[in-house]
Amino acid sequence: MTTELPLLEIKTVFKAFGGVQALSDITFSLNPGSITGLIGPNGAGKTTLFNLISGVFPVDKGKIVFSGTGIKNKKPHTLVDIGISRTFQNVELFESMTVLENILVGQHTRTRCGMWGSILRFPWVAGEEKKAHQFAMELLDFVGLNGHADKTSGDLPFGWQRLLEIARALASRPKLLLLDEPAAGLNIVETMQLGDLIKKIREQGVTVLLVEHDMSLTMEISDWIVVLDQGEKIAQGTPRTVQADEKVIAAYLGTAGKKTED
Amino acid sequence: MNNHQTRNRICYAVFSLLIILAGYTIENPYYIQVLTFIGINTLLALGLNMLMGYAGQISLGHAAFFGIGAYGTAILTVHYNLSPWLALPAAIAAAMIVAYIVGIPTLKLSGYYLGMGTLGFGMIVNILFREWSSVTGGASGFIGIPTLELGPVSFSSGRNYFFLVWGFVLTSFIICQRIIDSRIGRALRAIHDGEKAASAVGVDTRKLKLQVFVLSAAFSALAGFLYAHLVFFISPGTFSFIASIRMVTMVVIGGMASIWGSLLGASLLTLLPEWLHAFSEFEMVVYGLILMIVMIFLPRGLTRGLLDIYERANKKNDH
Amino acid sequence: MELIPWPELHAMDQSIMQEILQYLFSGITNGAIYAVIAIGFSMLYNSTDLINFAHGEFVMLGSLCMVTFFGSMHLPLVPAIILTIICVAIAGLVFERLAIRSVKHPEPIVLIIITVGASIFLRGLGMIIWGKDAYSIPSFSSHPPLDIAGAKLLSQSIWIIVIFLVASVGLQLFYKKTLTGKAMEANAISKRAAWIVGIPSKLMVMLAFGLSTAMGGLAGVIIAPITMSSYDMGTMLGLKGFCAAMLGGLGSLWGALIGGFLLGILEALGVGFVSSGLKDATAFVLLLFILYVRPGGIISSADANRF
Ligand SMILES: Nc1ncnc2c1ncn2[C@@H]1O[C@H](COP(=O)(O)OP(=O)(O)OP(=O)(O)O)[C@@H](O)[C@H]1O
Ligand SMILES: [Mg+2]
Repeated sequence: MTTELPLLEIKTVFKAFGGVQALSDITFSLNPGSITGLIGPNGAGKTTLFNLISGVFPVDKGKIVFSGTGIKNKKPHTLVDIGISRTFQNVELFESMTVLENILVGQHTRTRCGMWGSILRFPWVAGEEKKAHQFAMELLDFVGLNGHADKTSGDLPFGWQRLLEIARALASRPKLLLLDEPAAGLNIVETMQLGDLIKKIREQGVTVLLVEHDMSLTMEISDWIVVLDQGEKIAQGTPRTVQADEKVIAAYLGTAGKKTED
Repeated sequence: MNNHQTRNRICYAVFSLLIILAGYTIENPYYIQVLTFIGINTLLALGLNMLMGYAGQISLGHAAFFGIGAYGTAILTVHYNLSPWLALPAAIAAAMIVAYIVGIPTLKLSGYYLGMGTLGFGMIVNILFREWSSVTGGASGFIGIPTLELGPVSFSSGRNYFFLVWGFVLTSFIICQRIIDSRIGRALRAIHDGEKAASAVGVDTRKLKLQVFVLSAAFSALAGFLYAHLVFFISPGTFSFIASIRMVTMVVIGGMASIWGSLLGASLLTLLPEWLHAFSEFEMVVYGLILMIVMIFLPRGLTRGLLDIYERANKKNDH
Repeated sequence: MELIPWPELHAMDQSIMQEILQYLFSGITNGAIYAVIAIGFSMLYNSTDLINFAHGEFVMLGSLCMVTFFGSMHLPLVPAIILTIICVAIAGLVFERLAIRSVKHPEPIVLIIITVGASIFLRGLGMIIWGKDAYSIPSFSSHPPLDIAGAKLLSQSIWIIVIFLVASVGLQLFYKKTLTGKAMEANAISKRAAWIVGIPSKLMVMLAFGLSTAMGGLAGVIIAPITMSSYDMGTMLGLKGFCAAMLGGLGSLWGALIGGFLLGILEALGVGFVSSGLKDATAFVLLLFILYVRPGGIISSADANRF
């Protein structure tokens, strides 16, 4: 599209778990400010790729470059610090904590108060706390959860939990946001609102990589689509070209066919 | 938030008043003694609660740090004639350093495996206390630990020691409360709720777990110091596996992730054996039964358990 | 805990080889005992995901029952052993029924404290029944020690090793050949799936408890003639058996065997060549070592997770 430097480059990445080749020879890149849809049948390796980008597992072979620097051997928390943030396929909130506290933890890398700071309550600590609260409230507003700050997050309805997880991921002010099936378990109205939210997030300058099985949502909001099947990249392109791609159709029909068989 | 803070302030003010009141009105030296032991046990429970209740990491070997505090001060004051007030920071530092070194590999484990790693560590330290007799006095114990003195004030009398211990307890409560209410406290609870998610939002879980482990070791060592100068005699049995389990029990029975629960748990586990003396040879049987029954019916500890029962009763009344 | 009385060794008239052999014998004897205890731990962990901190107390019950039946009442050996094991297994079943099954949220920490509570209870019970004295009973038979290359193998050691072999072969046959054993094994493999579809498999858990505590009782039986039995003997034995189970790989029969013998032998050599005072530390140093290096234990392939 442009000659801009890509925000994230995946270069010939391989990953295996024991005998299972979860990813092989994956290459693609994300332009800053784009929404990229990462799709593929179950077990294609989408979540695995997320785990590699967010530093949960090391890559076997190949390279992942973020903002011009390799992320090899970087721990998940360091990656959050340099601007990569994610959500989980099965929502992973801090369930015993309140909505507000969840977002405050999300700001962990953007605040400094350590053990000594909290024990001795240096003067700046109160200021930092206050700012963190303010930003948390703004984020709740942004995702549409205002008024629920003091509820226990585990007690929220499922759709709201998804929103809260996104807000928590945004709390670290990421450059890149990885969303793993954010629409799973949502109803139609909620899914539409989610689409709007993702677009709004992009307007804030955040690049989004979206794994999603809801095709109409993915095709509508993505600028670019990457298709994985059984650990390999089988296609990429604009939503329109990908939808017409024979390999993609075959992959989806293939698994659909298999599913009806068993 | 502000509400929470004023409520806390009131709690601590009342707590301090109670301490002062108890210290000046209770005449019976036996009661003062028991209350002093409750204070020491509260420090043990509090430190372990930071690790177990808040960060969700179990330790079955914490008596080792209790012992390092006690033996540390004993060795420094008796063998090296050091002032106890210098031995205190030295003993605490020793416990913290040991915790740091042991924590690095051990805290990588989780669940039962973490329990076993800490258990093994605790056993090894206890065996060292027993076997390194030239330094620790071996199985027969270490005698002649000096009385604490600060200028003209001697801490040999029950009342003074009571105030000393409870002063430390109060300070420790405030320190822990401040940690819990801060960014660090939130991150700890986040680790408890989900380590994977915590690291995915930017918490350096390894470093933080290590920090609380070291912190809780410091509280245990402080308790060990106070214990040693209270009873003047220590032996390995006090810091055995059973002692570690007793600490865990105080935390769980009192209530995990609750500062006041530590106080409750420590009180109960200090008083229980005193009451059970009446049962003479049935003491152990009754003690074991009580442990089992409390855990079966109130697995979240007495504080939470009683609250739950209260809430349920309230709900029934509403309908 | 001194399991084997060391025959007086005179460096003058015994070569170093003989000495090593002697330590090896006692190591193997103790190893068999640790292995039996470890098997009890592993079996239970396999079927219930539970670590029973009262396991050592079941060993104690076994020893003291044996003291009563064999030592005081002079029952013949085999009935005394069977009676002892039945008593201990019944105690185990009662414990499961009354305590473990009542737990609604079986979190590790809660189970740890309940089983520790049980261990204190059982120790107290042992003290009430048998008092604070330590007892010993004669060896199962009064053969003179075997002389192998100058080293002595006590007759009780032979008993211990034979009983151990019979028990572990029996268990293996039980798991592989009988329907109940296969059902237990299947339950152990798919307990998560069983849990999800709501099969409580209560019977299997009971059986696991019965068998596991029976193994504890058996350990107590074979150890009784070579140690002083008293109400407080269980804690250290339990912990060491546990180290053995961890060492080999928790939840695996072979792991328990390997762990038990490794611990027994290293401990014996440690006593011989380092210091007898630090002997008790061997188990825990090994435990830490294996946890740091290979947390799954020596046998830790996915397949070794079960019997
Ligand atoms: N931690 C792991 N250990 C072993 N195998 C794994 C692990 N994570 C993923 N796999 C395997 O890698 C393959 C890809 O899995 P992945 O979860 O990445 O798929 P996915 O595209 O996210 O599928 P879905 O749409 O179902 O979420 C699968 O075969 C899976 O079993
Ligand atoms: Mg996935």
